[in-house]
Amino acid sequence: MKIPVSVESVAMETNDIKRFRIKHRFNEPLPEIHPGAHILTYLPSNEGVIIRPYSLTNRTTDGRYEIAIKLVQKSRGGSFRWHHSVTVGTELEISFPKNILKPELLGRHHVFYAAGIGITPFLTMLHWCKETGRSFELHYGASIKEECLFYGYLKESFKSETRFYFSRERRKERIDYYCSLQRHPIGTHVYICGPPSFIENIINAAKNLGYPRERIHFEAFRSNQIKTKTSPFKVKIEKKCVPVKEDQVLLDVLNENGLSIPYSCRVGQCGTCEITVKKGDVLHQDSFLTEKEKLSFMLPCVSRGKGLIEIDHNSLNLI
Amino acid sequence: MYSFPFPFEEGQSHYFYKNNAVQMKNRTTVQITPNYLKEMKLKRDTIIKNPERCFVALDHTYEAQWEATLYIAKELALRYPDTFTMTSRKYGFTLNNHLLKEEVRFDYKVNKEPLNDIGKHVQEDLILMFQREGQLFLDAGQLCFPSNWSLAFNKGMAFMDIHRPVPGFQEGQLDRRIERFLLHLCPGDPFERSNWSLMAGETLNTHLETFPEWGKKRYSVTEDTVGNYVHVRVEVQKLHRLPKTYTILFTIHTHLLSLKELSKDLNKANQLYTILLSLPKPIEEYKGITPYKSHVMNYLEGVL
Repeated sequence: MKIPVSVESVAMETNDIKRFRIKHRFNEPLPEIHPGAHILTYLPSNEGVIIRPYSLTNRTTDGRYEIAIKLVQKSRGGSFRWHHSVTVGTELEISFPKNILKPELLGRHHVFYAAGIGITPFLTMLHWCKETGRSFELHYGASIKEECLFYGYLKESFKSETRFYFSRERRKERIDYYCSLQRHPIGTHVYICGPPSFIENIINAAKNLGYPRERIHFEAFRSNQIKTKTSPFKVKIEKKCVPVKEDQVLLDVLNENGLSIPYSCRVGQCGTCEITVKKGDVLHQDSFLTEKEKLSFMLPCVSRGKGLIEIDHNSLNLI
Repeated sequence: MYSFPFPFEEGQSHYFYKNNAVQMKNRTTVQITPNYLKEMKLKRDTIIKNPERCFVALDHTYEAQWEATLYIAKELALRYPDTFTMTSRKYGFTLNNHLLKEEVRFDYKVNKEPLNDIGKHVQEDLILMFQREGQLFLDAGQLCFPSNWSLAFNKGMAFMDIHRPVPGFQEGQLDRRIERFLLHLCPGDPFERSNWSLMAGETLNTHLETFPEWGKKRYSVTEDTVGNYVHVRVEVQKLHRLPKTYTILFTIHTHLLSLKELSKDLNKANQLYTILLSLPKPIEEYKGITPYKSHVMNYLEGVL
C-alpha cells in the first residue's frame, strides 16, 4: 500500500546533502516507526516513476517523516531528481515504513558503526536507545567536519556516547575495528552501515573475534535496481523453449506450459513458488531469497530472466 | 453478511504442505460475526475460570501490547462505528462497546495487560510474536479458543519449537521457509491464511489442558450423530507487522460449521470428501480425525 504525501520543507544539511520533511497529503499523522526504519519513495518524473529507498532520520511528534539525501555526482536518477526538482509542495507517494535494521530488544549493549551517509538509519535507533535508557555507543567516520552529516545534532544529543573519526582533518583518524570490537562486553549487538568495504571489514573483524552471526546487523546502501519496466525473455524447460512477453509473469507461463508450481503470495515474499535455475542471468525482484540462494534459485512470481534462462525441471518443488 | 470461510482453494483436490498465506486485501485484524455475544460470554467465562491458560505476557511485551491494543481498537471504531466508539484520553482511550453495553477505560498507567483487556471485546485469539536474534518467539498472547494447544506451555517458546509436532512441517525445510516469510512481513502489508480440521462436538475452548474432557468425544461419534455432531473447524489467521514495535500481531478467528450444514452445498461436500480421501495419515492423526473418519466418509458418500 502506498501513502500519498507532499514535501513540507527542504533544508541544506551539508554541501551535497539535503534534508526533506514529508507530510501526509491529507494531514493525517504518518504511521509510527520502528527505530532504523526506511521508506520507498515513488517520485513521478517524465521518464516514469523513480523508486528509491531512504532511511527515515526522524518522525516528528506531529507525524511527519524526515529523510536526508546525498547528491551522488554521477546520478541522473534518484538523488539528482530529489536535489534538482523536488521543492516544497512536490507531491509523491511513499511506502509504509519498513525495517532491515532493527534494534535488538533484549541486547545488553548496542554499538553503531557508521560511515558517511550510513549514519541515516542509526539516528532513530540512537534516539530509541537514549529514550529507553539502553547502553549504547556510536562510532562515526567522515572525511571532514563540514561533510559530517548531523555533526552538531549528534554532538549535542549523544555527546558522551559518540566518537567521531575524521579521515581528512588535520588529525587524521579512522575507526580501528579490531580494537573497538574487542572492547565490547559479551551480549553486545553491533550495527553497521556505510559503503560495502566498510561493512565487510567490520563483519569480518567481528566474526574473527567470535561474535555470533545473529549479533552482527548491517544495512548495505541499497542498490537502485528496483525496476518498473520489464523486458521479454525466454525460458527453457527440459527441451522446450518458451517466450515470456514483457507483460507476462514467468510463474504463469510455466504453469500454462504444464508445470504445476505451487504459489501463494505472488509478490516475492512467501517463497512458495521457488524454482532452481540451471543457466542464465536472473533479475531478482523478491524479498525472500538470501544472496547465496539467489545464485541457484529464483521466485518466478516476481523475478525474470535476461535473454535465455534454463530451469531445472527435476528440482521443482512439486507436491 | 456473514458466510462461513470455506478453507479450500478453488479446484484444490489434495492436502498441501505449503505456505498458503496470501496478501490481505482489506487489511483487517478482527471480524464481528453473528455469534459475537455468545462467544464473548464463553471467552470471558473461560478467562475467569482459568486465567493462566488464557493469557501470558513476558515483561518486555508491554509496549507491543499497547500498540496491538490501539491497532485493534482503532479498527473496531473505524469499521464498526455503530458498535464501537473510541475516545482518546490523556493516558489512553475509552472504548464504548454498544453490543455489550460497556464503557471501558484503557489507561497506560492502570492497564498492565492491555492485550488481555482488548481481547475481551473481540472473538479472535491474539498472539504477539517478537523477533530476537533472527528468530520469532511467542512472548505474549490471549488464547481462549485453541485447537488443542497450550499457551502456558508455549510461552516464550520459539516459532520453530512450537511447530515441531506438526507432521511434515520440516519436509523441504518448510518450517524455516515459513519462519523466513514471517521475518519478512512488513507494516502495511498483512497476510492471511486459513487452517482447517474436523472436530467431534462444538467446543471452541479446546485447550490442551482440558483434552481429557473433550478429546473422548472423538470416540462417541455414531452413524446417526455424525452430521450434526462433527464440525469443520476453520481458523482464519491474520498476520500484521505492527509499525512501531515491529512485533507480529497474529489473530486467529475460529469458525465452526456442522457437516450437515456444509453438505447443503454439494460442491463443498465433494471437495471436502476428495481432500479427506488423500489426507496423509500423519496429518489425519494430528488433526484427531482418525477415530471417526469412516463415519464422516460414509456420511459424505450418502450426501453425494
